[in-house]
Amino acid sequence: MKFGPRATSVAILAAAAVALSGCASSSGGSSSGAATDTLTIGSLSNITSFDPAQAHLGHQMPLYQAAYDTLILRKPDGSFAPMLATEWKYNEDNTVLTVDLRDDVTFTDGEKFDAEAAKANLDHFKSANGPDAAQGGSISSVDVVDEDTIDITLSAADPAMEYYLSQVPGLMGSPKALGTEEVKTVPVGSGPYVLDAKASVNGSQFVYTANKDYWNKDLQKFSKVTIKILADVTARTNAVVSGQVDAVLLDAKNGKQAEGAGLEQVSYPVDWNGLFLFDRDGKNTPALADVRVRQAINYAFDRETMLEQLSLGHGEVTAQIFGKTTDAYIPELDDAYAYDPAKAKSLLAEAGYADGFELTLPILPGTEAIMAMVQQQMADVGITVKQEAVPQANYVTDLQAAKYSAAWFSVFQGEPWVAIKQAIGPQAAYNPFKTTTPELQEAIDAVQFGGDESGELAKKVNQYVTDEAWFAPWYRIDQMFYVDGTKIAVEPQAQQAIPSIYNYAPAS
Amino acid sequence: MVTFILKRIGSGLVVLAAISCLTFFLLYFSSTNIARNILGEYATPEQVAAKQAELGLDQPIFSRFLAWVAEALTGNFGTSWFTNESVVQAISNRLPVTLALVVTSIVIIAILSTLIGVAAAVKRGWIDRAVQIAAVIGDAIPNFVLAIVFVTIFAIQLGFFPATSSIQPGADGGAWVASLTLPVIALVISGLTSGAQQVRSAVIKQLEKDYVRTLRSRGISEGVILFKHVLRSAAPAGLTVLSLQFIGMLGGVVIIEQIFALPGMGALAVQSTTLGDTPLVMGVVLYTVIIVILVNLLVDLANGWLNPKVRVS
Repeated sequence: MKFGPRATSVAILAAAAVALSGCASSSGGSSSGAATDTLTIGSLSNITSFDPAQAHLGHQMPLYQAAYDTLILRKPDGSFAPMLATEWKYNEDNTVLTVDLRDDVTFTDGEKFDAEAAKANLDHFKSANGPDAAQGGSISSVDVVDEDTIDITLSAADPAMEYYLSQVPGLMGSPKALGTEEVKTVPVGSGPYVLDAKASVNGSQFVYTANKDYWNKDLQKFSKVTIKILADVTARTNAVVSGQVDAVLLDAKNGKQAEGAGLEQVSYPVDWNGLFLFDRDGKNTPALADVRVRQAINYAFDRETMLEQLSLGHGEVTAQIFGKTTDAYIPELDDAYAYDPAKAKSLLAEAGYADGFELTLPILPGTEAIMAMVQQQMADVGITVKQEAVPQANYVTDLQAAKYSAAWFSVFQGEPWVAIKQAIGPQAAYNPFKTTTPELQEAIDAVQFGGDESGELAKKVNQYVTDEAWFAPWYRIDQMFYVDGTKIAVEPQAQQAIPSIYNYAPAS
Repeated sequence: MVTFILKRIGSGLVVLAAISCLTFFLLYFSSTNIARNILGEYATPEQVAAKQAELGLDQPIFSRFLAWVAEALTGNFGTSWFTNESVVQAISNRLPVTLALVVTSIVIIAILSTLIGVAAAVKRGWIDRAVQIAAVIGDAIPNFVLAIVFVTIFAIQLGFFPATSSIQPGADGGAWVASLTLPVIALVISGLTSGAQQVRSAVIKQLEKDYVRTLRSRGISEGVILFKHVLRSAAPAGLTVLSLQFIGMLGGVVIIEQIFALPGMGALAVQSTTLGDTPLVMGVVLYTVIIVILVNLLVDLANGWLNPKVRVS
């Protein structure tokens, strides 16, 4: 009973072949087939709670949009259209928004959607302390005018209110479910799909089936939608390449593999990448108080090369923080600070920093390559960058606590008023030193009270912060979204990290 | 025997209490900004403060710990701060996947490493050399590298298996087998090589003992000597390695689960720890410790059953 090496290897190979062929039949079936009425998306983000007030903009939106309608629909190009609200109009000084509502919508638990329900949702949103609660900050009261009309009274004009009502504050859940324990894990809305809780595992996948009584069949294009939570980019790449999911967000490096597998790339800019120069009054880093120093930092970056090396060229260089899809965008500002190290040096010398100065930057795990390049380019003009490692969980808190005079960030380019509240206004989350000037404040006020003109008026804010070098933006980075074009067609969603649930359709 | 089991359970409970206490305090010091991380970057300081009060994060550490213990003793482990799912629900959804992965791997490793280890010890020659070389190679190649290679070849290129898990509630056996095959093979390969090596050494050691010579001199067949006597005496070494591998695997499957997007405990443990999701981390740690204690107990019992010499009085 002796086996030689050859016999043993043959036996092992045979056993392996049997095992493989046995499994192939049970696994291969799901990914093939052309026409489809099911959609499977790979998502980076899990949800915190299905309570609509606990939703968060960006990556989480499709998970909620499947189950909840919003008052206003944001179309792929960023414009607004009726959804649960049929019409909306401001009073003269833009402090009361009168919203007419549909009268033919019921929630999946049978409750009727009406003015009382809309008020209950907005009141709940204000009290629930969700991640996006700040978006409802200007709502002072919601009043029922009649069965299908509400008045939203604002403490002061808020040019982004329309946008907010298309986002988390606008998600409408059954008033009976709001605030209950159950709604945290099972959504009750009036949306195009209903969560199949039995088939879903929190953090792994959420399965939705078509809402049979949905009022707007145009927005309901699939009989089943599955959203798999795939936090790991390798898993997302493997899943889309092997056909297990139809659409995912990847990065430039993994995108190459997806392209090789014949997937369709849908790329569009959402974030700007670059440095925040927070300490514009020079409290901790006196040099940054001088506009010439901040401009010198801007001239020090070779944006083209950085984009090429850090993101394989997927994006567009820029020196402004306002996005192309907004009215505040000024095309010329994209080249406001073309790479010019000599000019950077002379500006530093003029400002009295001919020998440079030291700047401490926090490093977020995963951004080491970016920071190495920053350090190199700043060193070339004489600025010494000291790097300080900060754990992910502390990064934002540390920035907002004004611990650093400047920092790298990737920030989404929202509507002008959203961007102003995010990074420019004295109360902005990313203006930790609360820097401002009378001139800037005047421009900001003009935007706030500008009514329909407010987007256009934000150009002045854009020009000001770019001239004053409040930031050192490098480029608008492309979202690298991939779909199996043979099964699914998808439109990008302006100013949102991933497409909305309504943007998907079966490939014709 | 009963006293032994009771004693082990008693000491297990002490370990459980100590580890819960330690984990809770470590989490307290290592996880900061929990409320901020739940609410996201745009939350105002007032919102953050309100959230902290809601979660009890503004309470002193001792009263928080006591409150947790009081609830845990009644079987209520709370709900995750970040997903609002009940901790028991989250774990019961995920534990089966990880246990299926780890137990299947360990059983296969146990059978194969015994066969290969015994063959190497008895036959020596080429098998032995192959086992020695494979042990070095197996130790040198991490299982996640094997996993990535397997996904690329067998899932993406050849399409034999799903690239990421298709396990979901109510999934049939086929989906489980298809989703677990590649991860199990990756785990088995790296565990097998060291397991076989251990069995080999233990068997060789026993074969050199006097009692084997005595048995041989009495004309007892090689098969009986090997399987009835030598293997029994060599078993404790193998079992110890297996139990260590099992415990190591409970933590080590984290990366494998990420690669295959398996909805197991690993991803849950990593996510909850990174976020500082105290209720969930505590739940995960408790379950893991209980499993480890049970495995150790079973191994001790099995050792005693296999080899009366190590049986505890």
